[in-house]
Amino acid sequence: MPTQPPLPPLLTPYVSSLPPSSLTLLSSVLGATGNWLVLRFLHAALSQPSTSDGALGFSDSNNGKKRKVVLVSFLRGWEFWRAEAKRLGLDLARLTDKRQFAFIDGLSELFAAPPTPSPSHTSPTHGAVPPRTVLPLRSQPGPVPARGPQPARPVATPPNPPVSREIGPVKRLHLSGNGTSALDGLERDITAVINDLRTSTTPGDEQGETEVLLIIDQPDLLLAATGPGRGIGATEMGDWVMGLQQHIHATLLTLSADSPLIHNASAFAHQPTTPLETEHAAFAIGSAHRAHMVMQLRNLETGAARDVSGVLRVSKGGAWGQSSVDDHWEEKEVLYFVQRDGGVSVFGRGE
Amino acid sequence: MSFRKRNIGLSTGVDRTAAVNGTSQPAPVSAAPESVPGVRPSPDDGRPTTSTGTPSLDNLLAGHGGLPIGKLLLVEENGTTDFAGALLRYYAAEGVVQDQKVHVVGMPEQWGRSLPGLLGPADAVDDKQDKRKGERMKIAWRYERLGEFGAGIAGSRAPVAAGDQSQAAADPSVDKRPAFCHAFDLTKRLTHPSITNLNYIPLTPSNEPLLTSTLKRLQAAIASCPPSTVHRVVIPSLLNPAIYPPETSQPDNLLPFLHSLRALMTTSGARITTMITIPLSLFPRSAGLVRWMEILSDGVIELCPFPHSSDALGSSGAATSQEEPPQGMLKVHRLPVLHERGGGSDQNVGQDWAFTLSRRKFEIKPFSLPPAEGDKEGQEAAASGGMPKKAELEF
Repeated sequence: MPTQPPLPPLLTPYVSSLPPSSLTLLSSVLGATGNWLVLRFLHAALSQPSTSDGALGFSDSNNGKKRKVVLVSFLRGWEFWRAEAKRLGLDLARLTDKRQFAFIDGLSELFAAPPTPSPSHTSPTHGAVPPRTVLPLRSQPGPVPARGPQPARPVATPPNPPVSREIGPVKRLHLSGNGTSALDGLERDITAVINDLRTSTTPGDEQGETEVLLIIDQPDLLLAATGPGRGIGATEMGDWVMGLQQHIHATLLTLSADSPLIHNASAFAHQPTTPLETEHAAFAIGSAHRAHMVMQLRNLETGAARDVSGVLRVSKGGAWGQSSVDDHWEEKEVLYFVQRDGGVSVFGRGE
Repeated sequence: MSFRKRNIGLSTGVDRTAAVNGTSQPAPVSAAPESVPGVRPSPDDGRPTTSTGTPSLDNLLAGHGGLPIGKLLLVEENGTTDFAGALLRYYAAEGVVQDQKVHVVGMPEQWGRSLPGLLGPADAVDDKQDKRKGERMKIAWRYERLGEFGAGIAGSRAPVAAGDQSQAAADPSVDKRPAFCHAFDLTKRLTHPSITNLNYIPLTPSNEPLLTSTLKRLQAAIASCPPSTVHRVVIPSLLNPAIYPPETSQPDNLLPFLHSLRALMTTSGARITTMITIPLSLFPRSAGLVRWMEILSDGVIELCPFPHSSDALGSSGAATSQEEPPQGMLKVHRLPVLHERGGGSDQNVGQDWAFTLSRRKFEIKPFSLPPAEGDKEGQEAAASGGMPKKAELEF
C-alpha cells in the first residue's frame, strides 16, 4: 500500500480543477518522464469523491459535474496505463465499462499498413477536406450515428465485458495520407470517441453537465516521425490540437522538452539544425504560449539523488488569465520523488 | 515538522517489509520453476525478465535482475571501438543458449558464427572466482554483492539474517534451476545445436522504404513462431552508413520503424526483447533524432571508452593489482520500467560506472578515481624548482 496519498496535497490545486477550454502543457525530459503526473491528473478527474479525497476538501471543485477522460497515448499502450493506474487504485477497465474513461491507442497501429475497413470510413467521406476554418462544423453529431455499431456498449450486451477488458473499447489510430488530411483523419477518430463518451450515460446517472478532459500523451511523436516530407509541421500540429480543443472541456498535452529538441533550433546553436528540431521547438514553444499552465519536469541539476526523482516547475503559460475563472494556484518549483510502490511525494527544497 | 521525520521512519519500515517479501520470493520461484528457460520473474515486481548475457548489466537494470520482456535497450557508443558489439554478442549468445529465437537485423551470417563460446552458467564461473576472492582480506563485505539479485531490496537492517536466508535458498536451487545467465568466452566460437536457429534479416532493397520492409519481415518471422517462443531482436550498429543507406537516418523513416517495433513488442502475448546499438560519433546525442530514438527506447546506456593515451590513468584506476583497469565509462540515461514510472529511486542511477571487457566477461562496476600517484614527482619538482628556498627569501 502506498505510504503517500495518491494525490500529494501540494499537487492538488494544480491537477484537480482545470479551467474550461484551457490547455495545460506538461513537458518532460528523457530522465524525468511525466507519466506519473498524467496518472495524477487521471486520478484527480476520475476517482470517486466519496473516498478519502472528499476529506481533502476538493470534492467541491466537482460541484456535481460528471467528469470523463479521454486518453490518447502515442508512446505507451493500454497495458501500461492500466497497470500503472491500478497501482493508484484506479480501475481503468471498469471505468471504461462505466463510460467514464476512454483510451485511444496511438501506439499499436499508428504506422501500420491500414487494414481495409479503415480508409473506407475515413477518407471517402471527407475526400475534399474543407479549410480548417470550418472545423466546428464537425462537432455536429454527424459522425456519432455512423459509429453506433462499432464501439462496444458493454451495458447492453453481456458477452462484451470480458472482451472489453482486453482491447475491445480501445480505439486504435491509423495515420494514413499526408499533411492535414492525415491529421484530420486522426482528429475525426478522436472526436468520435469524445462525442460517444459525452453522450453516453449509464443508467442511474443523474443528468448534469459532463466535463470531458482530453489527455494527449506525446503527440510530438507524430510531428517527429512524419516531418516536412509528409507535410506535417508545427503549424499543422498546433491547428490539430486547437481543433480537438473545441470539443472538450480541458486539454492536457504532454511533450518532450529535451534540450536537443528545443535549443538546437536557436540561431546560436553550434551545429546545423534539422527540420525535426526546428519544428519540434516551434510546436513546443507555441503550445506553451497557448497554455494557461505549464508544468515542466526536469532532472536535478546537481546530479542524481537517491531520494529525489526530479524537479517540477509550475508556471503560468501564455494564455494565463484569459479565462474568467480565478486561478487559485501560484507558480512554484518543487521536488518530487517517485517511490518503488508508485507513490509520489512532492516537497519543497530543503523540506 | 516532527511528524515529517516520523514519516520518513515509517517509509523505511515499508522498505523492510519489501525486503521480507524480496527474501521470501525466491522460495516460490524454486518451488514452481518457470516453464520457459531463461525467463524469470523480476525480484522487484514479478514481471518476466530475461538475461542480457552480461551479469553486471543485468544487475544494473533497476533491480529487475535482467531485461524485462517487451523492453528495448539502446546501447550507444562513442568512438570507433566495438564494446557495444561485444555486449550485443553476449546478448545474442545468451538467447541461443536459452533456445530463444534470435533475429539479427542487417548482418550477414558471419556475425552469428562469431558469437562467443559458452563457458557455463555465470554463477558457476563466478563461484570459482569467489573462492579466489575469499582468500583476500575483505573490507565492508556487506557491500560486496551490492546491486545484485535481491541485494538491492534487502535493507541494511539485519543483513546477516537476509544473507543466510538467501544463501540457504540459493545453494540447493543451483543444481535444480536452469541457469538464468551464462558466461561466454570471446576468444572461442559458440557451438550450440540451436545456433542454426538464428534468423537473419538482411537489408535487401525493395520498392518499399528499407526499414518498412525490414520490419515486415521481422513481424512475419515472429508471427510464424509458436506463441510461447521468446524472441530477441538484435540490431547491430543501427544507422551505420556502412550497413544502412543514408535515407534510413531520415526521421520519417527511422522513427516510424522504432515506433512500430515498440508497438510490436508491447502487443499482448508477445515475448520480445530488443537490443540496439548506435555509433554516437556519427549521430551525436545532441541531435534531435538521437534524442527521439532515446525517447522511444526503454533503456538507454552510453559507453564512453577511454582513449588510448589515458592507459596510464586506467591502470592506476584499478583499486588493486588483481583487478583489471577500467576501459571506459558507462553512463545510464534511462532504465526500463523505472523511468517509465517517473524514475529516480534506484540506487544505481547517478552512479559513475566503469566497464572492463576481458576475455571472459563484460564487467560493469562503480568507477572511482585512484589516489593521485604521480603527485610525488610534482611535489618534488615544486620543492626543487618552483618554490623559492627559504634562504632566497631573506632580504
